[in-house]
Amino acid sequence: MDSLINALFQMLSFGSIMVLVVLGLGVIASMMGIFNFAQGEFVLLGAYVTYFVHSLGIPAAIGMLVAPFVVGGFGFVLERTVVHRFYNAPVAAMLGTYALGVIIREIVRGLIGGLYLSVPEPIAGYVTVGKLHFSSWLCVTIIVNALVMICSYVLLAHTSFGLRVRASLENPALARASGISTAKIYSLTFALGAALSGLAGALIVPLFSLFADLGIRFLIQGFIAVLVGGVGSFAGPIAGAGAMGAFSSALPWLISPVIADVLVLAAAITFMKFRPQGLIWGRGI
Amino acid sequence: MLNDRQQASRRGFFNQFALASAAIAVGTGGWVFRPKWANAALGPIKIGVAADLTGPLGFGGGAQANVARMIVKQINDSGGLLGRPVELYVEDTASNEAVGVANVRKLIQRDKVDMVIGGITSSLRNALKDVIVSKGKTIYIYPEFYEGKECTPYLYCSGPTPSQQTDNLIPWLIKNGGKRFALTGANYIWPHTLNAHVRKLIEKWGGEVVQEEYFPLDQVDFSSTVNRVVSNKVNVVFNTVIPPGTGPLFKQLYQAGFNKDGGRLACVFSDELQFALNQPEEIEGLATSLDYFQAVAQDDPISRKIQTEYDKQFPNKQMFAAGGGATGVYRGLKLWEAAVREAGTVERDPVAAALDHAKIAEGPGGPAEMVPGKRHCKMNMYIAVAKGGKFEILDRSVGLVDPREC
Repeated sequence: MDSLINALFQMLSFGSIMVLVVLGLGVIASMMGIFNFAQGEFVLLGAYVTYFVHSLGIPAAIGMLVAPFVVGGFGFVLERTVVHRFYNAPVAAMLGTYALGVIIREIVRGLIGGLYLSVPEPIAGYVTVGKLHFSSWLCVTIIVNALVMICSYVLLAHTSFGLRVRASLENPALARASGISTAKIYSLTFALGAALSGLAGALIVPLFSLFADLGIRFLIQGFIAVLVGGVGSFAGPIAGAGAMGAFSSALPWLISPVIADVLVLAAAITFMKFRPQGLIWGRGI
Repeated sequence: MLNDRQQASRRGFFNQFALASAAIAVGTGGWVFRPKWANAALGPIKIGVAADLTGPLGFGGGAQANVARMIVKQINDSGGLLGRPVELYVEDTASNEAVGVANVRKLIQRDKVDMVIGGITSSLRNALKDVIVSKGKTIYIYPEFYEGKECTPYLYCSGPTPSQQTDNLIPWLIKNGGKRFALTGANYIWPHTLNAHVRKLIEKWGGEVVQEEYFPLDQVDFSSTVNRVVSNKVNVVFNTVIPPGTGPLFKQLYQAGFNKDGGRLACVFSDELQFALNQPEEIEGLATSLDYFQAVAQDDPISRKIQTEYDKQFPNKQMFAAGGGATGVYRGLKLWEAAVREAGTVERDPVAAALDHAKIAEGPGGPAEMVPGKRHCKMNMYIAVAKGGKFEILDRSVGLVDPREC
């Protein structure tokens, strides 16, 4: 019974981390039709900003607040200067963003000296319920993720900005004809996606420590999550991420972790064979 | 028109990009140090270093190269080796076997070095030994602690073996931790081989292994394992999960109350760098066993001299620590230097014959000597425990410990 509660808690927390990482990736894939291979590095940058602020002697919590804005701004600049050139060439976009990712990753590796660095949690320790210990920071992560999801939903479903984003997503030509600057919307959405990944990085750095390859693991899992969830909508990648995160953290409870890692991929491939459109199909939110 | 301009600027971009990437690729290639003196007709003696300067293992490889620089400078400042200057050739393996093999070929074929030292992973050692020893007819010294069983002629190991690291540590852990062990490891050869050795020791000393698990190398979530550790009432977690997993695993164990309930962590690659991986309270009481700790330098004047010299020459660079093979490089190069002095030449066979029984009186952690016929090193071993962000030496070997290999 205790194990079951622990397992459920872990599934919830890991699933919600995945959702945050994947949201940015999914939004960009759905909207611009490109897979951003540098998305994992936005996670890394969020983590790095948090570490950098912490290393200046300022509390890590401030770093976490700053990180999404810094990474979002960086994403905006990157979109305006490089990424927007790739919208008509999805394959070149993969190579181009992959190159960007490598550049960012190796610069960060240089900055941190190739080390593995820990950042303390702003809220450390654990919550004790009966005999069970729950990491306080994981609880915070779950709550923050829930808030971000709600805010994102409100932003997309109930604001005029959200309406224009959805319009650009569903029919870019008509949106442009109606006077919506899709280029501007794309930049802002790209920045938003980067900011969400930056926030994810900031939140997970106390859990997984800072190292240059932090983003890669999430990138691969994120891609599979987007494919499982379905490209085209906002809900698809989120559903896929939740499913992937929960599944990949549940399996090691049942079988050896090495086999579990492979099995998650095998299950995802099998799923896509029988439901190529993904969990949630269609455009919209 | 617009299209043309775009094409042109894109081509320009790619040209610049190609230039930049070429610079990146070549820039880190080789550093050559030529002391400005050549009074020997025979030309300089050449030492090759194959180190993981970049990539995930850069923190260790950088220190290995630095130690080699320090020793070459020392030799040259004191008149060289056999009256000849020593030149150092450093090549980057980029923590990658394919890159390593290509760059080490340059050391062998282009630079014609007289010996090669360096490397961290066993997979790299296995990839390099063919290039250096079989095809290159050159001596190779592997400086890192490892899983043992490397008995190739002309390949010398100057780091500790499983026997040196764990034969004393396991009974110590049973006495100072408890009898119920969990073995957690990354899924590759070193953890598997070391754990097979450790399991025998645990059973020999009356303990039991209640859990043995392996993980993909990039795993950072260990919740199911941690839960089993707690519910199995494990006393000691003997860890061989390597970074990036190490920090998260210890943190998750701490947060599940393992440490608070009296559990002890053990991890035989933990050196001073461990304190960057975790907050001090998360690894309080962590036990490790290596050939050198900075705490040893406090009461061993020779170790202190080496540590101070390194810190002076390479301030704020990669740390001089045992886990990444820096101490192994020191020991290996000094033993080779002694062998060359004895042999009076740098020819492979006479040097190998002398290296077979080479001894040094001064090294980090104490003296060291090759075990004749075994190509492994006897050295002092220390058991250290983390206390408040520092390692404290709690047990030291009586005399030099035998590697028990080959």
